[in-house]
Formats: sequence, structure tokens, C-alpha cells
Amino acid sequence: MSEEAVLASIEAAVGEIAESKGAAQPKVTASSRMLGGELPIDSLDLATIVLRLDTETGKRPFEDGFIEFHTAGELAKLYSQS
Amino acid sequence: MSLLRAALDASAEVPFVLNTFGCVDRSSILAAADRLKQELADRKIQRLMLQSNDPALIVAALVACADAHTDLLIAHDYLDRSLIDRVIEDVGVDAVACQEAVNIRTVPGAGGPSEPASGKVLLMTSGTTGVPKVAAHTLDKLLDRIRATSSVESNLGGRWLLTYQPTGFAGLQVILTACLTSGSVVIPSDRTPVEFAEAVERHGVTHISGTATFWRSFLLAGGGTSSSSLRQITLGGEAVDQTLLDRLAAAFPDTRITQIYASTEGGALFAVHDRQEGFPAAWLDHGVQGSRLRVVDDELQVLSPRKMLGYASGQASPISDDGWLRTGDLVQVDQDRVRFVGRRDALINIAGSKVFPNEIETFLLSLPGIAEAKVRGVPSPITGQAVLAEIVVEKDTDAEPVRRATMQSCRSQLARHKVPSMIRVLSAIEVSPSGKKA
Repeated sequence: MSEEAVLASIEAAVGEIAESKGAAQPKVTASSRMLGGELPIDSLDLATIVLRLDTETGKRPFEDGFIEFHTAGELAKLYSQS
Repeated sequence: MSLLRAALDASAEVPFVLNTFGCVDRSSILAAADRLKQELADRKIQRLMLQSNDPALIVAALVACADAHTDLLIAHDYLDRSLIDRVIEDVGVDAVACQEAVNIRTVPGAGGPSEPASGKVLLMTSGTTGVPKVAAHTLDKLLDRIRATSSVESNLGGRWLLTYQPTGFAGLQVILTACLTSGSVVIPSDRTPVEFAEAVERHGVTHISGTATFWRSFLLAGGGTSSSSLRQITLGGEAVDQTLLDRLAAAFPDTRITQIYASTEGGALFAVHDRQEGFPAAWLDHGVQGSRLRVVDDELQVLSPRKMLGYASGQASPISDDGWLRTGDLVQVDQDRVRFVGRRDALINIAGSKVFPNEIETFLLSLPGIAEAKVRGVPSPITGQAVLAEIVVEKDTDAEPVRRATMQSCRSQLARHKVPSMIRVLSAIEVSPSGKKA
């Protein structure tokens, strides 16, 4: 998957979570901070998003340990084909 | 003469094993036992390992070893060779028998058991998570609870479907029960839900003992529609949820339903007949069926006359010096009922909050459209672990709407950290050789 495709997937996952919480649909861009307060998600939701990306991309970037990321773009980069 | 031999002798004309190919009668089992007994004596064998799934062979070996005071290790056939070799060494086995019990070969260089043989029965745990442990029992203790219930009229002459691995504790209990009650053991041609249902019909099965997972798959395969011969339903080996008990009661309104609490280490502990999940809290005060029960740090502990003597395989014993066994089963006392919440070693840790897979499975199974559910923790870089749920939907049901509705129900009814991060729909849940969810 390209970085853009992964980003779209993150936006869809965030959108689904927002919907389940009755929150407004947020716009997710590469610079959106995942846990910075601008998106209606917490760490439990982020764990869900990561698990979903694992499944959708078939990649396991965190298999050997945690890799620092803050924004949606940084997360998308970890899951995109390099 | 051992109790087991006497029981077989008393009903020698009754077939013991019924399978696709015909039947094996008790007199041929006793004849095989006599040959094996002679062999054991001639070769001065102390500790024999039998690796066979054939109930007739297992019984013949039990009778012969009891007579010859040889210890008998009953081994699973599905274990890797390296694990078996390790057990042979750790336990001090000096001879091995496989498909033909009289054809035994000695183990080269074996030192034999560290203590004198005395006709002990050595039983393996399932070994699904590494080297199996080997629990030493006496045949008398293994027969103890069966003997107490063998005079019950409805138990006599039963045809028992063998749903369990024959070499495990639960499988052996079924085999021994059939021995003592003039019963027969029914073996399906394959251990699949469809073949189980087929064997029930073909042989007019009257008694079935199985795990909760077995019963759900049996209902899913339509086993509830043609089993009018069924007199006894027994559940054991896994926590049983009320939804399943209610479904069984509806499918088999005239059949007795019993939950058995037993383990390889603890032996057969107690039975519950009231069709309610868990067991009466009063048993914590008064004990039950010869055993005493207590709850320490949420864990059920038991003091039972039928517990194992100890591990013959050298691992640390879960039995304390004063005889109480730590079961590893965590329970919750809720007014007048004690309910199982899960195995201590199955605990999932979500960002520091503890989650029991069993609790979520029970919730999922209570929702419409779900036939089976398995919950486990998967590694998460964010929360340490995340909850993954796998479900099997009812027959002729559209999976995706069920999955969506299930996620919705979880979000609205479960605590935040218990909501599965992902729900996958599978065609079947994997089952371990012991009949439990793998």
C-alpha cells in the first residue's frame, strides 16, 4: 500500500471510531497528531487502529519493538511499502 | 483381583468398544491383559509407557499393570517425538508399548523410576504449551468417584460417546466409567462434529461427556435433532456459560445435564446438576463430595482425597504442604453462587487493566447469531496487548451484519478496555487435542 492509501485507511478507521462515539467526522491529514487531542481517539482506539493496519497491510512494523511516531503521516509511513 | 478386572469379568459378554468396524468385547481385553501381565513379569518391567488411542488397549494395560504392580504411563499420540523422549527420561520409563500391547520394547539405558513401582497410573497434561506434566495417580483413586456413582440406575449399560482424547484425564474417566457400569465406549470414525453426530445416531449413544466447545459444535452440526436416545449430558474441562446450558436444556428437555469439575492434577472433584453456571457458594463452607473448597486471591483451591500423588515429571507441584491444590481457575463469589471467570494464565493485560477472555467469550456467546467465540490477547505496541475476538456465526446466517451488530453490542455494554479491537469471523474455532479451544 502507498503512504496515501494507508493514510486513507487511518482516516476511515478514525472515522468509524468517531461515529461509534457519536463524535463529528474528523479530517485526518499527514500532520494530524494521533493522540494530540485533535482526533477523537485515545490509546485504546489507537491500539485498534494499529491492529487494523497490521491486518490490512500485512506488515508488522512494531514486531521487534516500539517505533516512535506522533502524526498520522509518520504512522502511515511505517505501514507503507518502502 | 483388581476392581477393574472384576468389573470387566462380571459383564464379559458386553461389548466394550463400538466403532465403524464393529466391536471389541471384554473377554478379549482380559485375554490381552493376561498376555501383557506375563510379559511385564518375565521382563521385570517397572514403568511401562503406552502410546495408543485405543480404549481397549488402554484398559488391557491398566488391568495388566495393576496385577503386575507395574507403573503405567498413558501417553498422547500427538506429541512430538522429542517431547516424548524427554518425558520417557524424566519419568524413568523402562519399556514402551504402542499399537500392540504385548509387543513391548525396552528403553535402552533406562534407569527406571526413582522410586519402586507400585501400579501407579501416570497421566499427562495436554502439553499444548510445551513439555507435558505427568501426574501420578493410583487406580483406586481414579475409580473412587466412578464407583460411588456406578450403582445409579440410569448409568448402567450406557453407550458413551468418546469425545475426549482417550489418553487424557477426562477421556480416561469416560473409559473407566464405561468399564465399571457395564457400558460401551463409542468411537466416531473421525473427531469432527459431523462424525460425532453420525456416531450418536448409528450406535444409539446414551451418554455424552464433552467440553463446552464440543457441545457448541455438536449443536451447530445439528446433533440436537436426532439424539433422542441421549440420557446424560456432561460438560467439563472448560468454563460453562449459562447460554450454553440453556440451549442444551431446550434441545434436550428430558436429558440430565451435569457439569463436572475435574483436572489431571486434582482428579474428579465435584458435579453440578442444577443447570446453572458455576456452583453453590455453600460448598465453600461445607465442602462437596469428599472435597473441601476455598478461594484464595480469587483462585479456587481444593483439598481432595482424589488428587494426584504428585508430578512424576519433576515440575514444581501446585499442591502445598498442607495438601491444598491451586487450580489456576479464578472465580467470583456472587451471593449464593461461585462462578468461573477464567484461567489465571489466560489473563490479558490491556494498558494495565486485566481482562479475562472467558468473560468476553461468555458475553459474545449470549448475543444473537453467534455459535462460538474465542477471545485472546495479541501484542500491541500501544497498549501492551489488544483484545482480538474470533466468532463463528450460526448456520445460514449472514456474517457481516452479525459482526457489525456484535461490535455495536460490545461498545455499548462492555467496559472500554474489554471491547475487542477487532472481531474476525471464522468458519470454525481451532480445537486442541483435549477438546478445548486452542
